Amino acid sequence: MIRLLFFGRLGDVAAGVATSIEASEGLTPSAVREALAVDYPSLAAELSQPQVLVSIDQCIADWDQPIADGAELAFLPPVTGG
Amino acid sequence: MSAHVIIRVQRADFDLASEYQRLRQSTTAVGAVVTFCGLVRDLENETAIDSLSLQHYPGMTESLLEDIVAQAEQRWRLIGVTLIHRVGQLSPSDQIVFVGVASEHRKDAFEAAEYLMDYLKTRATFWKKIDQGGQQYWVDSKDSDQLALDRWQRDD
Repeated sequence: MIRLLFFGRLGDVAAGVATSIEASEGLTPSAVREALAVDYPSLAAELSQPQVLVSIDQCIADWDQPIADGAELAFLPPVTGG
Repeated sequence: MSAHVIIRVQRADFDLASEYQRLRQSTTAVGAVVTFCGLVRDLENETAIDSLSLQHYPGMTESLLEDIVAQAEQRWRLIGVTLIHRVGQLSPSDQIVFVGVASEHRKDAFEAAEYLMDYLKTRATFWKKIDQGGQQYWVDSKDSDQLALDRWQRDD
């Protein structure tokens, strides 16, 4: 299983979305986004915004980076701390 | 020599005087302490806010802040660094962020404090949500924060 996390405004858009997804060979953040688009097109559109970053196990990752089983995948909108 | 580093993400308020004293007393080599404290402003888009809530990514935030401090240590001679960021619900004029830097000479402390704030604003995983007259919305990132960061990257 891969744990899914949505932060900031993405958390609001992702309300009700599953918090995990089945792991599969060669799964990438892009593929997860495409899978989410089937049932949640508005969320997928938000995730496609160019400023949205992804992290795998709390490290900033590429959209085409493979995700290992048991990993934590987070979608991060532009940060606004400080 | 690596600096004495304190990084805290917390709901509780912090006390500027005690943070300053800790930095001042890092070692007797300290000749300069620069502190910055960010507060919650009462206006957003020229309209009064009721409150602000801050979300973060526990674990990732702390490790990103550690990376930012490590980068600053590569550029300046630092003796002590303290970064504190609050999360949870805050009200106008509440303290939200503290950056303190102790060094032998003032230039290192001044520049490192500004660098740490600029990187914190654009890299650390915090998100602000504003409550304004019963309406809640997430704050947008600002181009000016990215421009502040670009200045340091030009210097690389």
